[in-house]
Amino acid sequence: MRAGATRAFLVLLVLAVLFALPRLTGNEYVLALGVSFAMFSVLASGLNLVYGYTGLLSFAQVGFFGIGGYTAALLVTERGWNLGWAATAGGALAALVGLVIGYSSLRLSRHAFAIVSLSFALLCMIVARDWVSLTRGAMGIPGLPVPTLGFMGREWRLSRPADFYYLLLGFAAAAHALMYLVVSSRLGRAMRAIRLNEPLAQSQGIDPLRYKLLALALSALLAGMVGGLFVFYLTIVDPSIFDFYYTETMLIMVILGGPGSFWGVLASSAVLAALPDLLRFTTDLRMVLYGAVLIAAMLLFPGGVAGWLARRRWQRWRSPRVSPS
Amino acid sequence: MDPGFYLQLLLNGIVIGCIYALIAMGLSLIFGVLEIVNFAHGEFYMLGAMLAYFLTMNLRLGYAATVLVVTASAVGLGYLLYEALLVSVQGGGFERSILLTLGLSMVLQNGAVFLFTTTPRMIETQQSYTNVVVGDLRVSLMRLLALGLAVLAFAALYLILYRTRVGKAMRGVAQSREAALMVGIDPRAVSRLAVAIGIGLSGLAGGALAPVYAVHPLMGASFVFKAFAIIILGGLGNIAGAAIAALSLGVLESVMGGFLPVVMVDALVFSSMIAMLLVRPQGLFGRGVRV
Amino acid sequence: MRIMRLIAAAAALAALAYAELAQSQEGPILIGASIPLTGGVSTFGQHSRWGAELAVSEANAKGGVLGRKIEVDFQDNRCNPAEAVKSVTQMLSEKKYVAIFDGLCSSAALAIMPLVERAGVPFVVANASATSIAERSGVGGNKWTFKVNPTDLSMLDALVGWLDKEGKAGNIAFLGEDSDFGRAGSTGLETALKKRNLKLASVDFFQKGTADFTPVFTKIKARKPALFAIYAVDADFQNAMRQWYSMGGGVPLTGRVLVDQVPKEIMDSGFLDGTTSVQPYDPSVDTPGNKAFVEAFRKLHNVPPILVSFESYEAMKVLIDAIRRAGKADPAAIRDALATAKMPSMLGTVIEFDDHNLAHNNAIILTIKGGKVMVVGMSKT
Repeated sequence: MRAGATRAFLVLLVLAVLFALPRLTGNEYVLALGVSFAMFSVLASGLNLVYGYTGLLSFAQVGFFGIGGYTAALLVTERGWNLGWAATAGGALAALVGLVIGYSSLRLSRHAFAIVSLSFALLCMIVARDWVSLTRGAMGIPGLPVPTLGFMGREWRLSRPADFYYLLLGFAAAAHALMYLVVSSRLGRAMRAIRLNEPLAQSQGIDPLRYKLLALALSALLAGMVGGLFVFYLTIVDPSIFDFYYTETMLIMVILGGPGSFWGVLASSAVLAALPDLLRFTTDLRMVLYGAVLIAAMLLFPGGVAGWLARRRWQRWRSPRVSPS
Repeated sequence: MDPGFYLQLLLNGIVIGCIYALIAMGLSLIFGVLEIVNFAHGEFYMLGAMLAYFLTMNLRLGYAATVLVVTASAVGLGYLLYEALLVSVQGGGFERSILLTLGLSMVLQNGAVFLFTTTPRMIETQQSYTNVVVGDLRVSLMRLLALGLAVLAFAALYLILYRTRVGKAMRGVAQSREAALMVGIDPRAVSRLAVAIGIGLSGLAGGALAPVYAVHPLMGASFVFKAFAIIILGGLGNIAGAAIAALSLGVLESVMGGFLPVVMVDALVFSSMIAMLLVRPQGLFGRGVRV
Repeated sequence: MRIMRLIAAAAALAALAYAELAQSQEGPILIGASIPLTGGVSTFGQHSRWGAELAVSEANAKGGVLGRKIEVDFQDNRCNPAEAVKSVTQMLSEKKYVAIFDGLCSSAALAIMPLVERAGVPFVVANASATSIAERSGVGGNKWTFKVNPTDLSMLDALVGWLDKEGKAGNIAFLGEDSDFGRAGSTGLETALKKRNLKLASVDFFQKGTADFTPVFTKIKARKPALFAIYAVDADFQNAMRQWYSMGGGVPLTGRVLVDQVPKEIMDSGFLDGTTSVQPYDPSVDTPGNKAFVEAFRKLHNVPPILVSFESYEAMKVLIDAIRRAGKADPAAIRDALATAKMPSMLGTVIEFDDHNLAHNNAIILTIKGGKVMVVGMSKT
């Protein structure tokens, strides 16, 4: 109980600092990094839910992200919707699509799902580029207007970068709270059981399909919603939102943090969202490094940083303190 | 539309299809024997092409010599790849191998961009612009040679798989791993050879196509996703199925491209892949995806 | 071990302090640039950088501007608006850049526009092709964005006018890359043709990175158009040219054919004779300014400049000229100076901005005859 209270206190402290940041510094770059962190952490934690907890390798996250972005953009510009509803609709559509591809392919196998998720992401890119009447094609939808959010009768116009910072950080916090509730509940334990040993879990009365779909739908919903919010920060949505580069980055965040570790992935997404920019590595070298990390992780550290820390703890616990005479 | 138009489309399609087949068969072989989806397959194609460019333009090597050196290097690289990386993840789970090869692809692709920049390079030799003309039909000489190499490669692969003991062992492992183990086949030796051959085919494709297409670090990316679609459609692990699917895809792309917008063809390919997986997961011909 | 770490830390701190100190003194004038240094269009980013750097080094050789040297800081945006926003936000937050340069890709430039407006820093667009950039700038829009390169629409209007004079504009087949560049090409041609009550005979797009054009070439040839407009760049263009050649061609090319990048063998064989192309630039334009530019560029990089290099070179010169006329390294003053720019271009015209902050430099109409590229006309855009 003591450890739990300390952790809760730390989390609240960090959140307080993060939310106070715009007041403490007028530096817009810090805010931009914050937005980037908020976005990536939601995507990576969603992927963690699907891959780390339930054990499904999925390439579809970026597809859900982009679907949310395009849907929200179109609803606001074409139908004059309020941002809150538009982003929610984007998330809902993404979740629906996720359920469809999940249901049809998971009945077969995890491998089928992995490949279907990959082709789904590729198809999204093609549709975004070529269904010009729907998505405006390669030009994308530029000049997205300053959005407004209706909030208990009052309207909030998001005209400053600090506004987007608060919005995205707030959303990320809520999303993570929701995901934390799921993973620390019976649902989370069931998912972990499915990943560790699916037939055994089934024999215990857990219906794997239901939990896999739940994880998928939840991650898709959150990815879609954050996409809907993010594109308004950029003021433009174009097919590059489906770039494979996002998938690669998300995967690195999950692998490095440790698949199945809620805090590990959160920490690694914070580090990886901010560090590369601070280090000013050229992107080529950065991607080479990511690739090398991925290879090393698969060969040596399948559990990521969190897994390595956990193993060390176990080893220390196990090591004999008395030397054999 | 005159028949000459259709014939030209068909001819183009066969050439493209054979080239797809070269790449897809290597991928299929590796999956069949090791159950590893090699995300980096396109990068070996690219490396083969870059090596061929270097050999032809900087060292002035002839066509045959270039192809031989490139293929041999690719085979060697395959051995290296297996021993250094793949042997440790084999059997460790489908996801691990995908992520490992994805990491490898990121290293190779971005490393190549960093070292060589994305500026496209064309091989320019005496024969680069020679065409073979028969009536109304035209094919460039280099494409025809690539086609010839592909056919030779198929023949060689067939001989290895059906006329040698180690080939039989590979087929056995592809059909049923457990049974092969029970019969005493050494999985490591067979896997090593399969990877070497698979990468060798990819490198050979690169060497054969370097005189045809522009050479640049991102050239593998556009082929590899199509290759995935091909091996799914043909049936994972079924090499002949992959070849047939590749050829059909090439012809289909060409003929459809003669009438429909090209971009629609790409969308169709990926949609068919998804549809195939959902409706008939074992592909048109072969063994299905194992759970 | 500990000592080593302490020494290293001390050295790092000292270096940091020195850098801070050096910065706070009267240092160089800093310009921030956001271009795709990596990713699929990095060749263009490379050339944009080379062009801009040449302009800067020429100015610095003459003593810089306002008594200070000029320095450009290039950040990578991978042709991706999210990366562009991040890199430019970073540069703007450091408050030491007097202007932002290029963006290169249209989607990146469009994403940068609101940022510079908010920060009050001028943004000089050198290469992006989207018409909406100028539509949203100047009067009634973003007053901080200035576009130096002409819009595709106006260039294609000039080309179609030329072709129409020769009666050839009625049967043009179009093939373009599936990007904002290619789509701008098809819309530009269609608009220009509509003005003359004509339309495109067919429109096709290909995915960037397509290696094989033989199916679509076969399709287009079978329809027997009078002209074939092709919008391809980089590796796609190289592949397309070679495959077009091996298919025997048969239809003269037009549009924005990259005549300066056709493989030498194909050019020399006379195969492309009869091609008409419109570009904002060609290395063969015969003015003393251009000749000097091409030579200086070639000496540095061993390859001739392409249109992206030229556009960045001239846009940077416009910016440097504005800084000089502004009299101080203040973003608002530079913006005002840009609005009143009247700088001579190497193409023999004068660069000045209209009320949408768009310059109307000449477009060059080129043709290929006897295996050589010839400038046959210049048209105000």
